[in-house]
Amino acid sequence: MLTISDPAKKKILALLEAQGRQGSALRVAIIGRGPGGFLYDLLFVEGTTKAPEDVVVDAGGFQVFIDRDSAPKLNGATLDFIEGIQQSGFKIDNPNPLWDDPKAKAVQDVIDTKINPAIAMHGGYVTLLDVKGDIAYVALGGGCQGCGMANVTLKQGIEVIIREAVPEIRQVIDTTDHAGGTNPYYQPSKGGGPSPFA
Amino acid sequence: MTTTTYRAGAFLEAAGRLGVPVVVGSDQPQILAAANPGGTMAVDFLAPNEGARSIVEFSKEHQIRAVLAADDDGVILAAVASTALGLPHNSVKAVTAARNKHRMREMLAQAGILSPCFQRIPIDANPEEAAREVSFPCVLKPLSLAGSRGVIRADNAAEFAAAFCRVVAILRQPEVAAQAGELSQHILVEGFIPGREVALEGLLSDGRLRVLALFDKPDPLDGPFFEETIYVTPSRLPAPVQEGITARTAEALKALSLRHGPIHAELRVNDQGPWIIEIAPRSIGGLCSRALRFGDGISLEELILRHALGLDVECFERENQASGVMMIPIPQAGILREVQGQAGAEGVPGIEEVRLTIPVGQELIPPPEGARYLGFIFARGEAPEQVEATLREPHRRLTFIITPPDDIKVSGHAGVSARTHARDTEKARSIRPRPRLPVGGSRRS
Repeated sequence: MLTISDPAKKKILALLEAQGRQGSALRVAIIGRGPGGFLYDLLFVEGTTKAPEDVVVDAGGFQVFIDRDSAPKLNGATLDFIEGIQQSGFKIDNPNPLWDDPKAKAVQDVIDTKINPAIAMHGGYVTLLDVKGDIAYVALGGGCQGCGMANVTLKQGIEVIIREAVPEIRQVIDTTDHAGGTNPYYQPSKGGGPSPFA
Repeated sequence: MTTTTYRAGAFLEAAGRLGVPVVVGSDQPQILAAANPGGTMAVDFLAPNEGARSIVEFSKEHQIRAVLAADDDGVILAAVASTALGLPHNSVKAVTAARNKHRMREMLAQAGILSPCFQRIPIDANPEEAAREVSFPCVLKPLSLAGSRGVIRADNAAEFAAAFCRVVAILRQPEVAAQAGELSQHILVEGFIPGREVALEGLLSDGRLRVLALFDKPDPLDGPFFEETIYVTPSRLPAPVQEGITARTAEALKALSLRHGPIHAELRVNDQGPWIIEIAPRSIGGLCSRALRFGDGISLEELILRHALGLDVECFERENQASGVMMIPIPQAGILREVQGQAGAEGVPGIEEVRLTIPVGQELIPPPEGARYLGFIFARGEAPEQVEATLREPHRRLTFIITPPDDIKVSGHAGVSARTHARDTEKARSIRPRPRLPVGGSRRS
């Protein structure tokens, strides 16, 4: 199960004390997948919030609650705390593959090796959210979110690359909330570009 | 289409529905172009002959059935390329004339079409002297910009001189000068035409105009600037007036020799009849086309693609419901910090969508210098007056928190690029209200 490193244990106990929450538990959950791997959530919770199906790890001084869905994906992982000039914070080293489904794994591999390195030049990235049947569901982030060319990048680029590498995939659907994009690379503008009106 | 278009999604979706392969020509290379050489190409909209040569070259390996411009910027290139490929299209001469507001005025006047007095003034003219040659009220316009950018009304010599300097400043902006070319060297001054304004969306087939929709613009557009707000269709004008608008538009199209494809016209109607304000060989811009649905729900973009491919379009009538769009005006210059009330705005009965198109953290520039709207609100209903009322309500519920641009310097972000700053904002917004510990991750796969 999840291992808590000594530096992480020390930091968590210090935080609990600083917040006056001695006796609280740490809930660890996988909340999704991102360009760097799994996305995690760490949260201090009261012991009464433990669900019957939660996996409980005794870290020595506090308990760790892991929900049923996250537990298999955290098996063998280590929660660490690193402190340095460049980077400080909690870090989870997780040996588990992002996807069990070979098709999803193949799509993820294409995204990691061919697509994301290319669109990173525009500050963008693609996250694989799911693969169901012959459809891959993705979200575009960074410079791609809200970009006027996002559809072109998806249909004339991302989908073509994925279909070529993983022929079982016939369609790639973008589930991005493009209206929420805060920093699109190309932005609709009537000034240098098209006109919304005559 | 330019890389800044609003309409890539709508056209690609329409092509997907029709099962038509598309090659996207854009002003900059697509980031994944190498992965799909037949799917995209870079073309220079400012050098249409060169761009057309690239398209002709491309056609030697890929069959091209139609060349379409999504927006204003591509219409001349599309005409040149279509001519070279022998595809049905407007002539290059007609499209070029339509892109030059002074030339358009000349051709309409020559054809005897009701026109305001107009003159073209060099940008290096003395504005005080130029004002002596002008009748008031008048409207100053750049020759080629769109979206009411740089359009200013002047009622006297002092206002004229101020407006003239303001338009010159816009035309001297490097990106405007590059885009407009020689058309940035003059300003068009024409008589102000009072009256109710409408927009006509149409499709030309061998010179025959089919009206797809006639939009009323219920808010007065009397200046000094001409920022659009509400479009509602069908028009509530009496049938004979609508017929007059259609007839006047058809006359103007004939005078300009526009004969094929989508057109968008803006007219003013008063006691003397309908006056052409603008006419362009393209469809309605921005996201406004979402206000139009045809047949069993097909989009304007699909209708345009069908027409370009020679497929039947006559059977598709606009839906029976009234429909409208509000272009959300920019209330003041500054940095957009927050938008409040969006959920409430979207919850107004009859509202289909509230789409904000300027991200939080970006600078807002109102007209006449600005070229964007805050977003678009769409509504449908039984009657046009109901749609108009519906569109106003969500706008009342929206609050835009805007701070002066100088706040960027005060807050210590000077020297930090806007891109970096926006990312910080994004991270900050993603923090949930409950206390959580930041965590990074690594994986081995």
